[in-house]
Formats: sequence, C-alpha cells, structure tokens
Amino acid sequence: MTEAQNKVKVHVEKVNKSYGENHVLRDISIDIAANEVVVMIGPSGSGKSTFLRMLNQLETPDNGTIVVDGFDISDKSTDINKVRENIGMVFQNFNLFNNYTVLENIMLAPVELGKMDKAAAEKKARELLDVVNLADKADVSVNSLSGGQKQRIAIARALAMSPDVMLFDEPTSALDPEMVGDVLEVMKNLAGTGMTMIIVTHEMGFAKQVADRVVFFESGKIQESGTPEQIFNAPKNARLQEFLSKIMHA
Amino acid sequence: MKKTRKFLLVVVLTALTMFGLTIDAHAAKVPNYVITTDATYPPFDFQDKNNQYTGIDQEILKTIAKREGFTYTLKPMSFNAATQSVSSGQADGVIAGMSITDERKAVFDFGTPYYRSGIGWAVKKGSSIKSLSDLKDQTVAIKTGTSGADYALSIQKKYGFKVTYFNDSDTLYNDVINGNAQATFGDLPVIQYAVKNGTQLKVMNAKSPIQAGWYGFGVQKGKNAQLLKSFNKGFAAIKNDGTYDKIVAKYLGASAATFTGDKKANNSVIGILKANDSAFLKGLWQTLLLTIVAIILASVWGILLGVMGVSQNAGLRGLSTTLIYIFRGLPLMVLAFFIYIGLPSVIGMKIPAFTAGLVTLILNEGAYTGAFVRGGFEAVDRGQMEAARSLGLSYGKSMRKVIVPQGLKIMIPSFINQFIITLKDTSILSAIGILELTQTGSLIVSRNSQGFRVWAIVAVIYLIVITLLTWLSNWVEKRTRA
Ligand SMILES: Nc1ncnc2c1ncn2[C@@H]1O[C@H](COP(=O)(O)OP(=O)(O)OP(=O)(O)O)[C@@H](O)[C@H]1O
Ligand SMILES: [Mg+2]
Repeated sequence: MTEAQNKVKVHVEKVNKSYGENHVLRDISIDIAANEVVVMIGPSGSGKSTFLRMLNQLETPDNGTIVVDGFDISDKSTDINKVRENIGMVFQNFNLFNNYTVLENIMLAPVELGKMDKAAAEKKARELLDVVNLADKADVSVNSLSGGQKQRIAIARALAMSPDVMLFDEPTSALDPEMVGDVLEVMKNLAGTGMTMIIVTHEMGFAKQVADRVVFFESGKIQESGTPEQIFNAPKNARLQEFLSKIMHA
Repeated sequence: MKKTRKFLLVVVLTALTMFGLTIDAHAAKVPNYVITTDATYPPFDFQDKNNQYTGIDQEILKTIAKREGFTYTLKPMSFNAATQSVSSGQADGVIAGMSITDERKAVFDFGTPYYRSGIGWAVKKGSSIKSLSDLKDQTVAIKTGTSGADYALSIQKKYGFKVTYFNDSDTLYNDVINGNAQATFGDLPVIQYAVKNGTQLKVMNAKSPIQAGWYGFGVQKGKNAQLLKSFNKGFAAIKNDGTYDKIVAKYLGASAATFTGDKKANNSVIGILKANDSAFLKGLWQTLLLTIVAIILASVWGILLGVMGVSQNAGLRGLSTTLIYIFRGLPLMVLAFFIYIGLPSVIGMKIPAFTAGLVTLILNEGAYTGAFVRGGFEAVDRGQMEAARSLGLSYGKSMRKVIVPQGLKIMIPSFINQFIITLKDTSILSAIGILELTQTGSLIVSRNSQGFRVWAIVAVIYLIVITLLTWLSNWVEKRTRA
C-alpha cells in the first residue's frame, strides 16, 4: 500500500439513527481509505441508503462522529455545502434537473459555486460527456434520455465538481437490464482512476470484480466486512450466508 | 424576460404614483372636505346623463360650498359605506338623504335639518295588496341601513312578513316589480321620484308619510365643527332667498328625462353606450388598473408566501400557513370593509378606496396564489432538491435554480385561473365605492332604469377582457414551454 492509500477519507464512529421507534443504524463504525472502493450489500430496509446519505448530511445522525475529507460533518459549525462540493452522489432515480439540458445539468454546480467560468465549465462538461460516451447528447433535454443514459449523465454531473469521494445508491436498480452494463462500465473505469467510491448495489458480479472491500449490512449493523473473496466465498456470519443463498437463487 | 420585468415595474410605479397624487391633492389653502354620498338615491343623489352627480342634496351642497367658500371631494358609494366612512373618520361629512334619528345622533353631529321626509310603502302596480295586513307571509324588500328598513323591521312581527335586503334602490325596485318581493318601505320622496320616472310601482301612502322626520347633513360626532357651521350658515341663506325651494321644485316637479337623458338614448344598447361611453371607459380603466396591479403584486406576495411555506424554518412555514388560512378564509367584501372602514379609525389614517381595494385584492388573491405556489413547489420531486444539495448548492440557490423554475411551470394554469378570478373579484370592490366597471353599471342603471341593457353591456365588457386576458396568458404559457 502506498502512503496515499493509507490516508483515511471517511471516518465513521458509533453512529446511530432512528426514525421514531425504528432504530435504523446501530453504533456503526467504519473507516474508508483514500482510493478504496467499498461495496455495501444487504437486505432491503437494512439501512444502507440511510448510512450513505449520512455521509453527505442528506440525513443527520442522532449521535456519533462522521469525518469526511478531514471535515467533521457531525459538527454543526462545519459548512456542509463546502464539504458536499467534494462528495459526489449518484441516486437510484438519477435526479437530473428537468429544467436544464444535459450540458446545463453538468455545468450548473461548477458555475454557480464559482469553481469555473462558463467556458471552462463547458469544456469540462464536454470532456466528461466523452468519458461517459454521450458526447452527442450535450444539447438535448434530459427527459429524452433513456435510464442508462440518464445515469451516466448523473455521474458526469457529480464528476464535474472534481469530488474526492463518490457515493452511489443503487445506481443500476432502476435500469432495464440491457442498460446496466454501460453504467457499470463507467463506474469500473472511474474506480480505475483511483476514485474513492462507496457503492450500494445488488450487482454481485460487479462487487467481486471492482470492490476492495465488501460490507454486509443487516438490521442497521455492519454484520461482516472483508474482501470480495472472504464475503462471497467464505461468509462467516449466518445472516450473510442466508442473504447470499437467497440472492444466488433469485 | 428583462423587458417584461421592466414593463411590469413601469406599470406598478405608474399605479403607485397615481395613488400618491390622489392622496396629496388636498394641500390647498381653501378648506377641502371629503363628502360621501349614496350614489344611487334619486332625487337626492344620483348621476345625471353627463355622469355628473346631482340631485337635491348635491345642489344644496354645491350652492352652500360656493357661498361659504369651501371645496369638497365627493365620494359616491353605498349608503352604508357613506355613513360608516364618516363615522370612522375616513371622510368629513355625509349628505345622502339621511334621516336624523336618536341613534345616529349618538354618532353624528347634524346640521340644520334640510328636508322633511317620511316613510312610504309601495307595491307593484296592479298588485292585489291593499293594506299592511295583506303582507302576511309575503316578502318585503328593504334597503340596508335605511329608516324604511328600520320601520319595516319594527312592524315585521305584527304583520308577519319576511324581509330581503338590498344595497341599491334600483335592484330593490326590480325585485318588487319582478315579484320576488311584494312590497318595499323607503323614503317617500325617493319612491315617488322613482314612480314618476316610470318605475312600475304604486305608492300606498302618498298623503300620509309614516314617522315623518327630517333629513340632515352629518359629520363625525365632535369633529368638523367648522364644516357644520359653514353648512348651517349657507343653508339659512339659501332658505331665505328662495334658492332652496327652487332646487326642491326642480327635482320633485321636473320630469325624469330632464336629468336622465331622453328616451331614445336609453332604449337601445347603442344609445346607452353612446350616452355613457366615457363612463364605461373610465370604469373599465379602473377595473383594468386594479386587475393588473393586483395581479402583479398578488403574484409577488403569493410566491413569497409559497416560498415561505416550503422553507426549512418552521416559524416561516407556520406564518405562511396562518396568513393563507386567514386571508383565504375571509370573504373579499368583509376584508374590503375591514380595511376601508374598520382600519382607519384604529390607525388614525385615511386609506383611499383604491388603495384599500388594492390591498384587499393583494391579501386575498395572494393567499390563494400562496396556496397553489406552495403546492407547486411541493409537487417538484424531492430528489431534485437532494441532487442540488448533494452538489454543494445552498438551499436558496437550489430553490432558485432548480425548484422554483420547475414549480412555476407546474403552476402556470393555476396562475391563469387566478388572474381571471382577480379580474372578476374587482367587481366586489364596487361596495367600497371604487368606480370600476360594476359600480359604473350600478350608477347608470340607477339613473335610466335600463337594468337589462346596461348589465348586458357590462357583462360583455367583462367577457371581452377575460378573453383577452386568457389569450395573453396562453401566449405567455406557450412561450415559456418552448
Ligand atoms: N425519512 C424516513 N422516515 C422514516 N423512516 C425512514 C426514512 N428513511 C428510511 N426510513 C426507514 O429506515 C429503514 C432503513 O431504510 P434505508 O432506506 O436506509 O434501507 P436500505 O437498506 O437502503 O433499503 P433498500 O435496499 O430497500 O433501499 C427502513 O425501515 C425505512 O423504512
Ligand atoms: Mg436504499
């Protein structure tokens, strides 16, 4: 491991979250290193999305500490908008801005936040469109795109801010099967560039191929984590074994 | 986009300047009083064929003002609004065929009684009703706040009739003629004048007025002693030199056509339009001005309420909900009366009718707008806000750049609908005496009794304006969609 890889990007310590009576996250602690690709798996309702959304404060934890990129985001005095500029997020439902074209979607944040002037932002946006193989869609309305295209644009939009960390919440779950490959391809390439990525997904093949570490969530707890080989070939936790047998037979 | 903004700004500024001018116009040295009157009370107060206010009251007042060297701004409105404007200090004096009663003496100081009147009652020509006892189980039409109404109510139990209220004499007479009501009580000279004018009523007690009493010129109790003094002095003079008798004879002796225009002008739509074109135009302009300024300001206010309604701050959300609840719940007319008649006595400041009407519209239409604006923002998918925030955009920027543009698009049909409602609602403001299209119609009808033709004209004008407004809105909508 190089020194950079040793650096902790995301530090989570003893985080709890409840919705009323529903205790969704229980004492979660995890460290994620720079350049690491972590895949989170687990049954529906186990708290994966809640955990991911807490890393950029779309949800606030009830207690515990979350440090991203050296900023303590569980501290109220931290300017969360500044921290979010370095954390890209990709949603299951894409959430592209319906009132803008593809190019405008990608350019909006860098221009509005004063990262780049319009010309530079457009240049970067076109480069990113090349990266996600959609250069010809620059000027179309987002509503004319297929799901797979939308998700690739959403990735480009997040990358336009040059984030250090990328969060993916089931990026392929809303896609027709034939679209899934294109999106995973883009993500795989992104992992190859050394991006720190935290991915919630049910794509086990992708996890085996790309993940440095796989984390199994169940009942708001991290039940087991390890390399893809450890998790998929030699699961220790009984619930993980049960979960894997279910999805393998699905 | 910039151009439209500039245009709107100019419209708003023009309108505001106009109120400013009307407010400041009284800085002259000669005392200038604001006198209210009932706009539809011939032969005492009504509009002649040139749309000038005339009648016994008006001639007396004009003559006295000239003699005693004061000027006044006449504010014609409904009888109730006219008296309440004075008792609340909005206006200085009222002359509106108002009977002097003990009750009113508690609120007003009256000048020398100037006309002896009494209550008469009338039925439809050819009606089988012969005496008060025939009124059992029948309906009696009365004008709100008049002595005729008080008297009718005082004998209602004894004779067992029902009552129905009106604000405007002409509508009231028509109700009796059409048979919805069977009789009416009112000031005898007024009914007699209407009958002379061709109204198909029969006066039942022409020789013996009930509760004979006097009309008086009123000021707010304890205020405006100077005005009252001038009135009394001038009245004594015109009584002595015979001017007073001439005035009364002129109205009670003359045929109606002298004042209301000849038959030809009143018996066709074209004739009515020609005879009243400037009045209709003025009324239309007031309606348009009210509508345009109200639409712009109510939209601004409504969008603000809507933005507050989806704010992250619970206090702002609560405030928005409360304001929307209150002003959507209040009937427009109640709000208008509250602002125009109720508020001035509390804040000690006169509020011009136009301003009061405008504020009423802004508060009411703004509340409706606020409700659908809030709904429109809430209808934008939550994921849009989350995506914007996740990129590092602040709440305000996310709203401005992502949520508001999408929300507004959802709201366009509601806006168009609200614009049309605003236009129609301006007609309710005729109640506080704003001379808009509806009030213009009332005045013309009270003079020429051509209800069907005049109201048809007014209705068509409204439809034309609404059609134009709809076209304009649809055109704007298409452009924003493109
Ligand atoms: N805003 C909310 N209010 C109340 N309960 C919530 C809210 N968000 C999530 N929950 C609850 O928290 C629990 C965990 O939800 P979460 O979305 O994190 O699960 P998940 O592991 O992502 O599931 P899935 O695979 O279905 O996406 C669920 O029981 C869910 O109902
Ligand atoms: Mg989820």
